Amino acid sequence: MKAEKKPIVSCKGITKVFGKDELAVHALRSIDLDIIEGDFATLAGPSGSGKTTLLNMIGALDHPTSGQVLIDGQPLSGMSKSQLSDLRLNKIGFIFQAYNLVPVLSARENVEFVLRLLKVEANERRTRADAALAEVGLQGLENRRPSALSGGQQQRVAIARALVARPRIVLADEPTANLDSTTTGELVDLMYRLNQESGTTFLIGTHDPRVMEHSKRHIEMTDGQIESDIRA
Amino acid sequence: MMETFKLLAPLAWRNLWRNPRRTIITLFVVSVGLWSILAVASFITAWAQSSRDATLRLLIAQGQIHAEGYMDDPNISNLMPPPGAALVAALNRPDISNWVTRLELPGVVQSEYKTLPVSLVGVDPDAERRISSIPEKIVEGRYLNGLEDDSAVIGLNLAKRLKTALGRRIILMVTAEDGWLEERSFDVVGVYDADTAFEDTYIFTGRSTMQAMVGVGDKIAQIAFEVPEDAALAGVVERLRAAAPGLDIRPWRKISLIMGAMDATMGGVIFIWLAVMMVMISIGVINTQLMAVFERTHEFGLLRALGFKSRHVLWLVTFESVLLIGLGVLIGMIAGAATVWGLSDGIDLSAFGKALEAFKAGDTLYLEVKTSDYIIFPLAIWALGILVALWPAWRAQKISPVEAMRQAT
Repeated sequence: MKAEKKPIVSCKGITKVFGKDELAVHALRSIDLDIIEGDFATLAGPSGSGKTTLLNMIGALDHPTSGQVLIDGQPLSGMSKSQLSDLRLNKIGFIFQAYNLVPVLSARENVEFVLRLLKVEANERRTRADAALAEVGLQGLENRRPSALSGGQQQRVAIARALVARPRIVLADEPTANLDSTTTGELVDLMYRLNQESGTTFLIGTHDPRVMEHSKRHIEMTDGQIESDIRA
Repeated sequence: MMETFKLLAPLAWRNLWRNPRRTIITLFVVSVGLWSILAVASFITAWAQSSRDATLRLLIAQGQIHAEGYMDDPNISNLMPPPGAALVAALNRPDISNWVTRLELPGVVQSEYKTLPVSLVGVDPDAERRISSIPEKIVEGRYLNGLEDDSAVIGLNLAKRLKTALGRRIILMVTAEDGWLEERSFDVVGVYDADTAFEDTYIFTGRSTMQAMVGVGDKIAQIAFEVPEDAALAGVVERLRAAAPGLDIRPWRKISLIMGAMDATMGGVIFIWLAVMMVMISIGVINTQLMAVFERTHEFGLLRALGFKSRHVLWLVTFESVLLIGLGVLIGMIAGAATVWGLSDGIDLSAFGKALEAFKAGDTLYLEVKTSDYIIFPLAIWALGILVALWPAWRAQKISPVEAMRQAT
């Protein structure tokens, strides 16, 4: 009998309310969700459905108004800002829609940045960064600054950076929103391949059907609630 | 800590050059500010030094010894005997480079056309050549030849006012020891060119001649002395007071109150300029760093999301300020040193002539920056710049990652 995998992320009844009284906006309403190791899950829904807010809660970037988020069984509530930074650094990789690279650093330096924060020794840092860039197909472009890379190449660097520290989960918020269809296809294939080969867990906020096609688990949100959660 | 430094240093340096124009403007403000402080400090110090030297070298020297009461009422009843053995020994110590004895009394000078109040000074011409600039300022005729010289040296402007000239005779009237007004005619053998007020006041003759004229024997009115280092003056005055307890011994600041006040004021001017420049630099640095922080809000959010701690953001922005202001300070120091070095031969002010006479400066200013100024002013600007940049840095570290990322999208 196959052992049941433990959830990397557990959301227990989380709500998020912005504003107060009559101006209050309920961005999340009592969300219960587990993300299991190895998931390649998409979080879909129209604009304003709460995808980004939920990703921010899971990414320890924001606090829920009520309820709890647990990463590897550890509740985020009560953690200091510094502890949350350490948690993000050690366990979570981020891929954002835009502006996601440091413009004054080269592709290699952007990827190395996370390893520097983790105090990885220089030689190992370089080896791992170059390997991650090669993995996403950017061999030979290591020394280019973001301004000298296309949008698709920049997102590949962001993926390499998100993966280089071997996080427990990669959270991607609309990673293909600014890309053309060819590049989108390549990126989705890349993330899917990485999930398949290394077992890296992905939770991708998107409403791009090409991303959802590869999804092994599709979570649909509407008005701050999970409407459906379907495994392929 | 070292690892954090290695992480932040290149990032901070590159961030500085993301907006080269803004960085260059800030560098310009900081470096020109420091340069102007160093230049103004050296110019004012040189001016104060030149002005002080020029005035003190005329007659005052750096200190004087009088009988008690003479300074308040410089008449014949307040004279003193020549220095005794103890005082001579104290005056001959190496911390006093030169000293002279003089007889100086108020009197009246008369020509065929005019009668004017003056101070008649009986001098030892050989000693005066070592301590006073008057012998070098003779523009017509000659200076006095000895203690017994019975001729007179007068100022250029006084000669004009008296309508007299070299080779003509003048009458000098001074109250004598017996209380009677003593008068005597003197040949004008020399005319000196100092500042107008001085020229109008002082007439010089041989000390023995004057002592004989007023019948005071070997009594004198003052001993003027010079020290190699002004900083040592207070100690020298104390030592002389111990050697001659009954006499009134004063440093130049207590003799020429105007010079003392000017000396103190010029130091104040430097600090006023320093304060003005510091305010300007502070505004420039705050403006630059706040702009840099606001423009990069989304980036700080990204860094925080990646695991950067808020203190890393604080250090990063502060480090950028350290580099920016440090570079500006370095350029300002080099520019300041180059200016002073470039003008090391002195600034010739002789063209301004009488217009600058009120400031009593010499004809040439020799710029010099004290080593302490080279350390204190740059450090003060650097420290202040970093201090004011802490505010933008503090604001940057307060930005929550989610707010910053929301701005990004």
